[in-house]
Amino acid sequence: MSTNEEHFHWPPSDPKVVKEELISSTKRGGGFIKKSIWVLSLLSILGIVGLLGKLFLESNDQTQWGYIAAILAFILSTASGAPMVAVAPLIAKANWARPISRIAHIIGVVGIVNIIIMIPLLWVLPPLVVEGARRRSIWFEAPNYSPHFWDTLSLIMLAIVGVALLYSSALPDFATIRDNSSGTKKRIAGFLARGFVGSTVQWSTLRMRIGMMSTFYFFTLIFVHTLISIDLSLSMVPGWRDAIYPMAHAMGGIQGGIASVIIVAWIVRKYFGYENYITINQFWALGRLMFAASLMWIYFFYSAFIVFWYGRSMSDTAWLDLLIRGPMMYVFILGMLFSFIFPWWWLIWNKVRNSVNGPFYGAILAILGVFFERVRLYVPAWSVDPSLIHDKWLKVIPKTLFPDIWDILVLVGAVSSVFLIVMIVSRIVPFIGVWEIQQFNLLAKPVKYIKAHGVRVAKPD
Amino acid sequence: MQQRDNENRLSQEYTNSVLLNGTLQTPKWWPYLVSILGFFVVIGFVLFGIQIKYGLGVTGLNRPIYWGLYITTFVFWVGISHAGIMISAILRLTQAEWRRPVTRAAEILTIFSLATALVFPLIHAGRTWRIVYWLIPYDASRGIWPNIRSPLFMDPIAISTYLTGSTLFLFVALLPDLAVLRDRTTGFRKGFYTILALGWRGNPRQWKMQVVGGILLSALMLPIFVSVHSIVSWDFAVTTAVEGWHSTIFAPYFVIGAVHSGVSAVVTMMALMRWGWGWNEFIRPEHFDALARLLTVVATAWLGFTFLELLFALYGLDAPEIALREMQIFQYPWNMLFLTFLLTGYILPVPMWIFKRIRTNIALMFWSSILVNIGMWLERFLIIVPGLARRTPFVFTWEAYSPSWFEWYILFWSFCWVTLLMLIFSRVFPLVPLFEQKESEVFSDDIKIGRATVPTIFREEEE
Amino acid sequence: MVAEKNRSWGMVIDTDKCNGCSGCVTACQVENNIPLNDQNKFERGRVMSWIRIERYWEGEFPNVKARFIPIMCQHCENAPCEPVCPVYATYHNNEGLNVQVYNRCVGTRYCANGCPYIVRMFNYWEPTWPEEIRNHLNPDVTIRSRGIMEKCSMCMQRIKRGERNAGDQLQDGEIKTACQEACTTGAITFGDLNDPESEVSILAKSDRKYSLMPQLNTNPNVVYLATVDPYKDKNLGEKAKTNEH
Repeated sequence: MSTNEEHFHWPPSDPKVVKEELISSTKRGGGFIKKSIWVLSLLSILGIVGLLGKLFLESNDQTQWGYIAAILAFILSTASGAPMVAVAPLIAKANWARPISRIAHIIGVVGIVNIIIMIPLLWVLPPLVVEGARRRSIWFEAPNYSPHFWDTLSLIMLAIVGVALLYSSALPDFATIRDNSSGTKKRIAGFLARGFVGSTVQWSTLRMRIGMMSTFYFFTLIFVHTLISIDLSLSMVPGWRDAIYPMAHAMGGIQGGIASVIIVAWIVRKYFGYENYITINQFWALGRLMFAASLMWIYFFYSAFIVFWYGRSMSDTAWLDLLIRGPMMYVFILGMLFSFIFPWWWLIWNKVRNSVNGPFYGAILAILGVFFERVRLYVPAWSVDPSLIHDKWLKVIPKTLFPDIWDILVLVGAVSSVFLIVMIVSRIVPFIGVWEIQQFNLLAKPVKYIKAHGVRVAKPD
Repeated sequence: MQQRDNENRLSQEYTNSVLLNGTLQTPKWWPYLVSILGFFVVIGFVLFGIQIKYGLGVTGLNRPIYWGLYITTFVFWVGISHAGIMISAILRLTQAEWRRPVTRAAEILTIFSLATALVFPLIHAGRTWRIVYWLIPYDASRGIWPNIRSPLFMDPIAISTYLTGSTLFLFVALLPDLAVLRDRTTGFRKGFYTILALGWRGNPRQWKMQVVGGILLSALMLPIFVSVHSIVSWDFAVTTAVEGWHSTIFAPYFVIGAVHSGVSAVVTMMALMRWGWGWNEFIRPEHFDALARLLTVVATAWLGFTFLELLFALYGLDAPEIALREMQIFQYPWNMLFLTFLLTGYILPVPMWIFKRIRTNIALMFWSSILVNIGMWLERFLIIVPGLARRTPFVFTWEAYSPSWFEWYILFWSFCWVTLLMLIFSRVFPLVPLFEQKESEVFSDDIKIGRATVPTIFREEEE
Repeated sequence: MVAEKNRSWGMVIDTDKCNGCSGCVTACQVENNIPLNDQNKFERGRVMSWIRIERYWEGEFPNVKARFIPIMCQHCENAPCEPVCPVYATYHNNEGLNVQVYNRCVGTRYCANGCPYIVRMFNYWEPTWPEEIRNHLNPDVTIRSRGIMEKCSMCMQRIKRGERNAGDQLQDGEIKTACQEACTTGAITFGDLNDPESEVSILAKSDRKYSLMPQLNTNPNVVYLATVDPYKDKNLGEKAKTNEH
């Protein structure tokens, strides 16, 4: 199907060439990049305008804020999920992910966007004690400020860990840039590299630090997903008791993370001409992960669905009425199509997965699916009349809420600020880790064994 | 005999002779162990007969605790059966090299534990002799099919599909080894292996078909692997009346718990295989190391699910549910069981596995994996029985449950039965796949990178 | 013919009239050939009685009141026991009854776990009676063997006999269940809930009506009428309150 030539797109074996080619991504500051940074900043400011407009005009009506919460969850589920693509292969000692792990780390630094969207939500999120009685939440006896304070804190923590993860993985590359450039860039990189010269001790500390940060990022991400999903949607609905929900939410986050890495990797490969670095192998492996993620989506969804559908108690029926056949029925169908059916049926074919464009289109489908899912889960939950919050089950199903102009502005602003941050960070951090590729070249070699083509991969402890 | 060839690999003749030492010869302890186990197994069958004759009154069950030790053990064995596909299919698809020596053991553990699990609903049912209505729907005189809505009907379907698939999977993986046995036996056994080996000669086409078959079966078995325990969990989760059961997390929670207990059972088996047959060069500490790493991840995920399950039990702030959890966690004797469950399921073994020294220590790994399975059995018990013994608003139905010796013996019987089947299997077929072992010798190698010596693996590029 | 009638048999139990005499329990035991409950059965928690009287204490000393509530199969329209049976041994018939088909039952006891009211009984042993009682067993009712579930059938045998005898002219109140006949205070009323004229459907529209565990959405065909509390509703109640302070 594919020729050997195509299969063995391999990074250049000469370390010098690798270095030159990879650092060049930070140097290419053509007019296009400058222009797009301007446009993106403008759009991001529009997003902030949207948030402010919403805050000043609708801050006393909680039911209007569903879309803002959904956008927060969407950014959390896509961009913040991206580092998982680097974390999981690191733990499994998989070599294939090295060329794209830096991209995953870079996308992970957008945690600040989540924090900004969270700020106005703090005003509208109902307090723990409503009308003298404590509402149902995971903060059983905790002080009144609990969900607001801890949710914000967890988002800040995720943002910091994201930056720290990128920083520790980019440290050797800063040193490389320091040694291979001049002027301001040399000074910035020199400052950031903090005297990294590549001694044995420095490398072993670095490896340990990356490992720890990755594990830490993983746990923080799951934790944040748990908090945000419960506090910002589940506990707004009386009688919605769904133990799998945080995990399903995190799973959607990982699906979105893989999708965003595929999309950015595809763009980077195309724009910077890194065909030899980000090869079909990476897309193939990511395509498989996407396929698995879409299956996991349906599994988690069905695990919850069958229990509610079969249970038929009052609260079970209310769940179906609110989230499946209720105000967001069409969004649910779209979410099902784009999160599961389309990516699954697209990526099930090895021919599609084993290509560059196939997983890219799959990723676009899945990222839309994640968006629809978040809208389905958050908007109806926020539309529930706050006076019902103490009921045992939801007795009045809210009407469909359509987005207003502010919501659309915030969505545009949030998405473009993610791209903006990625572009700004890429001015100093190479899109593909130089040291990752050098190690990749050291540890894996294309070999021929009798008649079969293959790779010999080393697995150091 | 030459142990190593000139590339310092274990030679193929040596591999054959050592790994077939349980099949072509009889280990000294084998006849004794088999006859003791056989004795216990026969007693179990007799007791089962007695139960059929006189009714389920011989158990400690009552109203409302209708399900007890039998169902717990059923869930436990279904859980153990997740070892096989986890080890051989998932690790095969993810190309984990260290799976190779344990695939066969994991698969037969799957098959025998599933077969045992399938027996438990029969033992548990009130009228076993009418089970044909339930499991085999061909009974034209009734004019009704079984109720497809019932998870108890989906169970036998899922389990028997899984059993069929696993058996095929095992058979495909056995083919090359059967041919080896055919060439090394005489008389009746030769005939037996000749028929089973299906004319395997090891030509490239046969190998290719075998690999394709294995990969296809791995991929096809995955959904079944997940669905089996999910359906078992829905036996409980769809029940609105029992507060502790009606939880959406049950399906993935049960599956991950099953992987936890199944992989631990494989660790136990690996240690026993080392001790029983002396396959120290094939089942090496690094295999224990890799499995323990996998187990650490799985166990931590499982703990997360346990935590979420408990969190959402309290989240609703419903009095009956909180009362149930209070009983399950704080009241004697449940509190002792709960403590043991937490200790053995996670707190004792998993921190142990952080240290590489313990991960590569066979005896410690053996005991810690046993601990895990004690914990996992208790987990199922603590879900099923306190859920039923809950304090409903109807105070006149409150009951306690103490299993009768009869039920305990059937539990013990199931362990004897699975072990017996495996021992008999080991006398007929090799427990460690010979061809996988040889392939891994060829595929893995040590190379020098700078000053370090690093193990490497050859990965074939798929066309 | 029966299907055309579109009946929905139901029951109204006035807990205000119930004095906890257990007459219904005994009547049911005799009518439906339920084995006798000896000490061993009580000790092992395997009591068989299709109807049971639950007793509650309400209030603080000295104003303690004993409350009784007879509980039997609620014949839910949305029964949790029905979808879980693998062999259709329990299903909903077209007369609003949740019926148990003994011949199909294999004894998985799943339905019993699904039942929130815990009114399903399992035959742990083969049922036995003393010789003298064996001759008094009701010939209309099957004797259940070991290993199967059983529960209140709303005296199915009486319904069938009543329908057969009356033909098309079945009057309300013509069919009486055993517990209803035995109830000295007339707390139990049985009849067709689909017939708006019937006594049972008139009672079921009472302000005092409630059903057990409404949050489970089981929609039972057995309706309870709440106790009228003289302490709460009348001056007597005010007096009791002032005594407390």
